[in-house]
Amino acid sequence: MRAPEGFIETRLIDPFERHVGPIYERGDPGSKVFGLRIDDRHVNMRGVIHGGMLMTFADAAFGQAAWDATDHGDVVTLNMQSQFLAPAKSGDWLEVAPVLTRRTRALLFLRGDFLVDGAPVFSVASVWKILGQP
Amino acid sequence: MPNALTTLPPEAENISRGGFNLHAGPIYRLADEDEVRRFALPVEEKHLNGSGNVHGGLIMTFADIAMSQTSRVVSGAPACATVSLTCDFVGPGKAGDILEARVQVTRKTRTLVFLSADIVVGDRQVAAATGLWKIG
Repeated sequence: MRAPEGFIETRLIDPFERHVGPIYERGDPGSKVFGLRIDDRHVNMRGVIHGGMLMTFADAAFGQAAWDATDHGDVVTLNMQSQFLAPAKSGDWLEVAPVLTRRTRALLFLRGDFLVDGAPVFSVASVWKILGQP
Repeated sequence: MPNALTTLPPEAENISRGGFNLHAGPIYRLADEDEVRRFALPVEEKHLNGSGNVHGGLIMTFADIAMSQTSRVVSGAPACATVSLTCDFVGPGKAGDILEARVQVTRKTRTLVFLSADIVVGDRQVAAATGLWKIG
């Protein structure tokens, strides 16, 4: 099964996200949970998810959350701080509920813990820019 | 800072052998410049975001691979695991660019390597990353 019951495929636009996806989501804008079924494209030589794929999933999920928070505004990643806590392997279901910590006129502060079976494997804090705002 | 790469130099070695490294790549190791370890990633359409710029996830993937490879080289260990990575997105990269990662070792201890990487296209900076790797 690609995704647990209740999840729908997220509509991805960016070519790189489509290249590494699909990703899934459930819930309403502002409180969505995003998920990824890890497969053999995503792993390294040791069979665990590559750090680059974790950060790409984070950028995609946080981008969706930032998009929702700005009513589909034009948003870009300024900074991402990533902590790699534990390995996750091919076949695992990885999910995150991004939290909007603070919003200013031009910036969004987002964070999230990425879980496999309820245990944190990856943690991210990220700053986003809302384009067109001084 | 050198001019932007327009083609891969002859010594470029493809280091993307499988898994996500190959799916996201390919990525090449270039010749060192003194203490700077250099890597290259020719940007393709698959690497872009919806605005036609290089996707942030791909930039962080490139930084991660370049710094992981460097931590293996300087530690002699067969594998090193990323513990933390911070990336600032300074400017855009475009299709047709050859991104270059310029990696430097800040400090190496018995169990850890501290690294930084500038992601550039010639004298144009795309991203600045730092990170911490566990040896073995």
